[in-house]
Amino acid sequence: MPRDASTDKPLVELVNVTKIYPPDVVAVEDVSLRIYKGEILFLTGMSGAGKTTLIKLICRLETPTRGLIEVAGRDLSHISTAGVQRMRQKIGVAYQDFRLLDKQTVLQNIAMAMEVTYASTKVIRARVEELLALLNLSDKRDKRAGELSRGEQQRVALARAAANGPSLLLADEPTGNLDPAATELVINLFRHLNEKNGSTIVVATHDPSIYAETEHRVMTLNNGQLSAHPNRSPRQIELFEA
Amino acid sequence: MQFLAYILRQTGKNLRQTWGTPAMPLLTVTLSVLLFAFFFLIYTNMLRASARLGDDIRLIVYLDQEVTAQMRPGLEKKIRDFGPVEKIVFVSRSEAFARLSAQLDKEKDILNDLGPDFLPPSIEVYPLKNLNDLTKISQFSEFLLTLPHAAKVQSGSDWLRRFGYFTNLLRVVVLLSGSLLIISMTFIVSYTLRLTVLSRQGELEILRLLGATSAYIRLPLLLEGMMQGFLGSSLGLAALYFLYQYIASRFSGPGFLRLFDFTFFPPELTGAILLASIVLCTVGSLFSIRRFIRI
Ligand SMILES: Nc1ncnc2c1ncn2[C@@H]1O[C@H](COP(=O)(O)OP(=O)(O)OP(=O)(O)O)[C@@H](O)[C@H]1O
Ligand SMILES: [Mg+2]
Repeated sequence: MPRDASTDKPLVELVNVTKIYPPDVVAVEDVSLRIYKGEILFLTGMSGAGKTTLIKLICRLETPTRGLIEVAGRDLSHISTAGVQRMRQKIGVAYQDFRLLDKQTVLQNIAMAMEVTYASTKVIRARVEELLALLNLSDKRDKRAGELSRGEQQRVALARAAANGPSLLLADEPTGNLDPAATELVINLFRHLNEKNGSTIVVATHDPSIYAETEHRVMTLNNGQLSAHPNRSPRQIELFEA
Repeated sequence: MQFLAYILRQTGKNLRQTWGTPAMPLLTVTLSVLLFAFFFLIYTNMLRASARLGDDIRLIVYLDQEVTAQMRPGLEKKIRDFGPVEKIVFVSRSEAFARLSAQLDKEKDILNDLGPDFLPPSIEVYPLKNLNDLTKISQFSEFLLTLPHAAKVQSGSDWLRRFGYFTNLLRVVVLLSGSLLIISMTFIVSYTLRLTVLSRQGELEILRLLGATSAYIRLPLLLEGMMQGFLGSSLGLAALYFLYQYIASRFSGPGFLRLFDFTFFPPELTGAILLASIVLCTVGSLFSIRRFIRI
């Protein structure tokens, strides 16, 4: 459900953001971007274009070399440690490299995200079951994450990111290892979170199948520079250029 | 509530995951508390014993001539002028003889041949209690030797001095084992917690990504340190208590323990040792947490 961009205050705002990895790798260059509450945004671009970097900047795993980043109205360059911690509890991130604990079970991996918010065991248990059912992983609940296939690990990472019903979900290449059926499950999870929970969702991907027919905004990174995606569906042209 | 439940659960999990590691500091804490408390117990008992012995210090000046009633006030003034004295008792030959025969009771027959004059007259000087200082006592006895007709001064201070040396030596041992206790506790606890932190590095990194608060990450480790302090010192003190009980029961009757009326620490002191150990171990865990956990 795209919002009217002109009246809402953006949930995430980037103003002329540049990220240079030492010594001189320009990963993101002069990017300005507003992401509105309740929006689903697709971030595309070739490998090495800077998608992951942009996502890390938004959850403050990286700090920008230049420019301003605000999340929920808070300037990330002037935020306390406790502030970062609170923010991260409300942002769900599915990392491109999953970042799961291989020796712990699927249940434990997902539960961790909720335990840090001191959710009760009962609530955690119910939520994990729900997410596993949505992602068709129910029979893997007590398996160690390290014993799963890449595609299963990918969905566990997504489930963990979605566990707290985050107001912002950042999904980095969420369907890279998935077949069309599993991809469909993931898209449905996004839709579910977005509609039921009002979550804002940013999906970094180079899988055209998941954004080809979308009615949501698609942006493209090219060598660190951001632009609107060139090949837009008639639906998008109708929505964003009218 | 949920917060507390989590902290406790996590602490339990840490202990289970690295069971071999916390057993080591526990043993170290137990042994250092045992060692320290052992010497400290002996020391406190020695102190009490010497205080009690100090109570009945008296200096006896043996004279080669009887002191007449007219001489007494002069002598008494001379002694009191030198130092604070609680009381002065003049014992004549016959009084000394009467005392001895009273002490011998039924066997006083053996005195018959000696006659009532064989014991020397004496002056018994009881210094005030604050004169416990051994050097002052020996000064006092040197002075008493300068009194007219003084033949010999008996103070028992030689024996007291040796006792004092021993108490001083014990104080050094207590201080040494106390420092050992402090060092071993803080070091061992912070060292093992560092191992715990390192073994959980991956988990801590992900907790950081998930927005875990500092308290969430640190409190379980802090609690682990506190528990090691509590359990370790309880075990050490319990071991010492049983040792004490064992020795007391084996050596009951007249002997060393009876002489000193050996007792265990009062509850307050036991509590203080326990508390100190907990504080030390907590400080130790704080060190490792501060140094090794990046938020
Ligand atoms: N930690 C880092 N240190 C140095 N350079 C980095 C680091 N992370 C990324 N880069 C560089 O920054 C550029 C952008 O990387 P990034 O991971 O953001 O790309 P991406 O769009 O996510 O690519 P992919 O689609 O392959 O995941 C790349 O040239 C990469 O080599
Ligand atoms: Mg990437």
